Amino acid sequence: MSLLLQYVKPYWKKATLAALSVVTMALAALIQPQFLSKIMEAIINDDNQVVLTNGAFLLGLALIGMVAGISGTYFSSRVSQSVAADIRAAEYEKIQSFSLEQVQSYTSANLVVRLTNDVNQIQQLVMQILQSVLRVPILLVGAIVLSIWTIPSLWWVVLLMIVLIIASSGRIFSIMGKSFQKIQNLIDQNNTLAQENLAGVRVVKSFNQQANEEKGFSDNTQELTDVNQKIGYLFNLMFPIFMLISYAAIMMALLMISGSVVKHPEQLAKITPFITYLNQILMGLMMMGMISTITSRGFVSLKRIGAVLAEKTDDKVKPERDSLATTSDEKKAGSDEFLTQGLSVSNLDFAYQDADENTLTDISFDLAAGQTLGVVGSTGSGKSTLALVLARLYQASRGQVEVDGVDINKINSKEWRNGVSIVMQKPVLFSGSIRKNLQMGKDDATDEELNAAVEAAQAADFVNQYPDGLDHEISERSANLSGGQKQRLSLARALVKKPRLLILDDSTSALDARSEKRVQDILEADYGQTTKVIIAEKIASIIHADQILVLDEGRVVGQGSHKELLKSSSLYQEIFESQKGKEQKHD
Amino acid sequence: MTKLKTAIQYFFSYLKPYWKGLLVAMAMVGLGTYAQIKAPLYMGDAVADLARYVTDSFTPGKTASLSDFYQALIGMGAFYLLTEFGLVVSGFITSKISSNSVGNMRKGLFGKLQKLPVAYFDKHQDGKILSLFTSDLDNVFNAMNQGVFQIFSQGLLFLGIIWMMMAKSLTMALVTMALSPVAILVSFFIMKKARQQIEIQQAATGELNGYINEQLAGQAVLLAEGREQESIDTFRPYNEKVREATQKGQFYSGLLSPLMQGFSLLNLAIVIFFGSWLVLHNGMDKATGLSLVVVFVTYSQQYFQPISQITAIYNPLQLAVTGANRITDVLKKDEEKDTGKAIAGPLEEGVSLQHVDFAYQPDRPILKDVSIDVKKGQMVALVGPTGSGKTTVMNLLNRFYDLNGGKVLYDGQPLNSFTLESLRNRVGIVLQESVIFSKTIFENIAYGKPDATQEEVEAAAKQANIHDFIMTLKDGYQTKVTGADNLFSTGQKQLLSIARTILTNPDLLILDEATANVDTVTEEKIQAAMENVMKDRTSFVIAHRLKTILSADVIVVLKDGQVIEQGSHQELLDQKGFYSELYYNQMVFE
Repeated sequence: MSLLLQYVKPYWKKATLAALSVVTMALAALIQPQFLSKIMEAIINDDNQVVLTNGAFLLGLALIGMVAGISGTYFSSRVSQSVAADIRAAEYEKIQSFSLEQVQSYTSANLVVRLTNDVNQIQQLVMQILQSVLRVPILLVGAIVLSIWTIPSLWWVVLLMIVLIIASSGRIFSIMGKSFQKIQNLIDQNNTLAQENLAGVRVVKSFNQQANEEKGFSDNTQELTDVNQKIGYLFNLMFPIFMLISYAAIMMALLMISGSVVKHPEQLAKITPFITYLNQILMGLMMMGMISTITSRGFVSLKRIGAVLAEKTDDKVKPERDSLATTSDEKKAGSDEFLTQGLSVSNLDFAYQDADENTLTDISFDLAAGQTLGVVGSTGSGKSTLALVLARLYQASRGQVEVDGVDINKINSKEWRNGVSIVMQKPVLFSGSIRKNLQMGKDDATDEELNAAVEAAQAADFVNQYPDGLDHEISERSANLSGGQKQRLSLARALVKKPRLLILDDSTSALDARSEKRVQDILEADYGQTTKVIIAEKIASIIHADQILVLDEGRVVGQGSHKELLKSSSLYQEIFESQKGKEQKHD
Repeated sequence: MTKLKTAIQYFFSYLKPYWKGLLVAMAMVGLGTYAQIKAPLYMGDAVADLARYVTDSFTPGKTASLSDFYQALIGMGAFYLLTEFGLVVSGFITSKISSNSVGNMRKGLFGKLQKLPVAYFDKHQDGKILSLFTSDLDNVFNAMNQGVFQIFSQGLLFLGIIWMMMAKSLTMALVTMALSPVAILVSFFIMKKARQQIEIQQAATGELNGYINEQLAGQAVLLAEGREQESIDTFRPYNEKVREATQKGQFYSGLLSPLMQGFSLLNLAIVIFFGSWLVLHNGMDKATGLSLVVVFVTYSQQYFQPISQITAIYNPLQLAVTGANRITDVLKKDEEKDTGKAIAGPLEEGVSLQHVDFAYQPDRPILKDVSIDVKKGQMVALVGPTGSGKTTVMNLLNRFYDLNGGKVLYDGQPLNSFTLESLRNRVGIVLQESVIFSKTIFENIAYGKPDATQEEVEAAAKQANIHDFIMTLKDGYQTKVTGADNLFSTGQKQLLSIARTILTNPDLLILDEATANVDTVTEEKIQAAMENVMKDRTSFVIAHRLKTILSADVIVVLKDGQVIEQGSHQELLDQKGFYSELYYNQMVFE
């Protein structure tokens, strides 16, 4: 709630105007019956003048109510949209300051929901608060007070009606709430069934399971239908019950008045206003019920957004410690002076924030500048984690990573980025031209540089096929590219800046064997100055590496060249044997 | 207008089975509406009777009696009861009809999808098809719930009130209705404006959401390249655009309700004002005049209710018309051709492709004059670069697609002479990207044979080398899995689909080897499982691994949709062509 206030504050003038408009509208609706009552009296008393004046008041009041309604909508939509947009921007900025680990712990899909759906809920919440939360209590309390004030002797009729409505709605609402939850689950199931059926259409057809699929879906749909029907029944029961209660109250009021009207003939003129107030009370109660469901959803979203905004994003969390930087970017940014001696890792541990166990334990190695390190190991051995730590995307929990003897956390971030490239296992490109994507690696890269990288990544064949070449647009989710093409382009992006340190995380898996071999040759020939860390499933990819690490459950279990490891590491031998395949025939 | 016609036909076909219920519901709505518009007259009478009672009590010589009042009160109560009775009964019937008919629409659409050819699913994104269920059918249901029946009852109410008002007092009726043309015009103008603005708003929101989605999905790259600030800077204009567009959209769509309330209030004021003026200047007696005002105050409120209801229904109704049209489009699509009459028996001789031509799009041929012969029990390895047509061969053997030219023969008979079901019972497939359903592991393996016993399922899992892994899970075969979770690695998913195929015991097997992200240990398990499943079967394998290729009886090399080489490993090596280059240059280590 305080979060909401904080974001509404800049718009307090508009919010106040919205609130005033809404209050005005409520008051107009409340006062109207009073004028009506006066006019009725005037009719009884044959007082033409009073009818005219009050009639004019009545018209004026209606106009004021209408204008207030329009301005209320205007201001509340302005405020709610502005608040929503501001919260969205703040949240987006906050997420951009997250470390990779934080993004992964929420998952990006979840963050997207918090930025879209949840913000929409907040916007509706603000709109609701401005439009109804003020109006309904005023209308409700006002109508109760005024109804009793109009005919005081009938106070108990008013109260009885309220009690009956609340009692009956409480019962119906609780059944309805359960049904709504059930329906949400059933809808989810129904969607999953349809979605899996579409995704698995080939399996469904080849196993001739169309009839079974249809039966499963029909059964679920029938359940959904039954709950929908139940909710429909409840709704169709609820409103008539409310109406009957209020009709009963009206009739009771008339009956009571008939008993006392001879003593109090002025009550005759008050019947219609009294009934109008009873109707307003009924409306107010029903609106309260609706508001409570909408606002409760909004507050859940508010909590979820609050959690994102409350994340800690200081230097300790994100390995981006320019405050600690001892090097200046002027001097070395992207120049050949970065990583001239070597990369050295000592006693490195890594554990995820909430994990009990280390993902990496006690990793140490030294790699001279220009050399290649190969990393192999089974799935889950920690290879990708090591790549991310070396790329400074994850923060080691213990130990050090040093470049030329300097702790990497002390290297200025611009210098670091100009010197280091990582290609991740799952290639990611952004919608926009190929050029724009490749220039992410180097803003001012010339066409010559871009083409060289494209060539090296074996992407030239298909890029040159586009009539617009580098200006070819990549569509959303890279839908117009194959897996291999995506991998080639993400490799090219990493090569554009001619990095001094290149980290490849199994990033040629979707390439055919011939292209993969070419990439290796080019890396060898044209990127000889670059220090390389290559993570691979296939030993063939790293067989020539100067040094190979064999990882198992986050620990180094073998270290050396291919030949050495064949002798020293049983795990390495095992992996090699399983991949060798043709060697028997070849010899 | 043809769109509207299509939608009406769609609704009509699903509502037809409920015509009796609909008639009863309509009769009940008629009854309820009649009572609803009649009740205020009794209220007016009651007030008039009370007024007369008061006057009579103060007039000497007259005996004041409340009996008229009591009668009016009883009438009022009776008509109120009748109103709500009619509404409850018709409401129950209509909610039964709307939920069931939409349920039938849902089932009907799903059933239709089961009959569409694979080509349809390849051409349309899953998300788009899915939105027929999640969004279009939802819109139809909403419109049914609050729209279709409401229009009828509100329309009836509207006409009824006009009728009643005219019967009571023509002048007052005209006064009450005077403002409504303005109100209707204004509200249609606002709705039109709101719809335009909401379209702009949805487009802007769509762009923003697309941007957010893509940026966050690629957050690792943004972080690696230090593009956080740039990402924020690009985000801002999107966000501002949404802010602007949504403000207008919200304003116009939010305007309708306060405006109609305002009109209703204004109308009330006019009715009271004019009504009392009429009473005072036309020399009506007080009781009648008072009753006239009371009756028209109620009518004025009731009269505006259908106007605002019907205008509120307009937008959901339009969405429903669009939804019904989209669904009708799908329902009209051609179904899978299943004209063959013969039943495919066990494979006796073999399978052969003869001069097969095929194209997904007429101008882009994928397979050109492809001929492959497989004898019973043989294994064929299909190799070749991406896009050479390997997967297409697989699509044709299972009749996911039909040929453009040439023949595919099963024991000498063309594939389309068999019923689809019998053919597919003989042909088993294992896809590269395995499909896991949100069911238990048992149900996933028994997918093609739902009545399989525990022993059969376990035997299949053992042959597929996945039994041991399943037994390490707490719930074993009863473990619930979903397509999205990470319980299984890519390789293990393929083992599961191999088990699924083994269980159905096909004669002809088509297998697409999984490659990406499979570690060495799993790879060996897959190899062994493949050997198990291919034993004593005729099989086509889209091969990526050398070991698989080496164990094939025939290797078929495809390039650009043509068979360029065909034969055993040694024969192909001796030809010193594409295959031998492929083999020496890329598959061999040094």
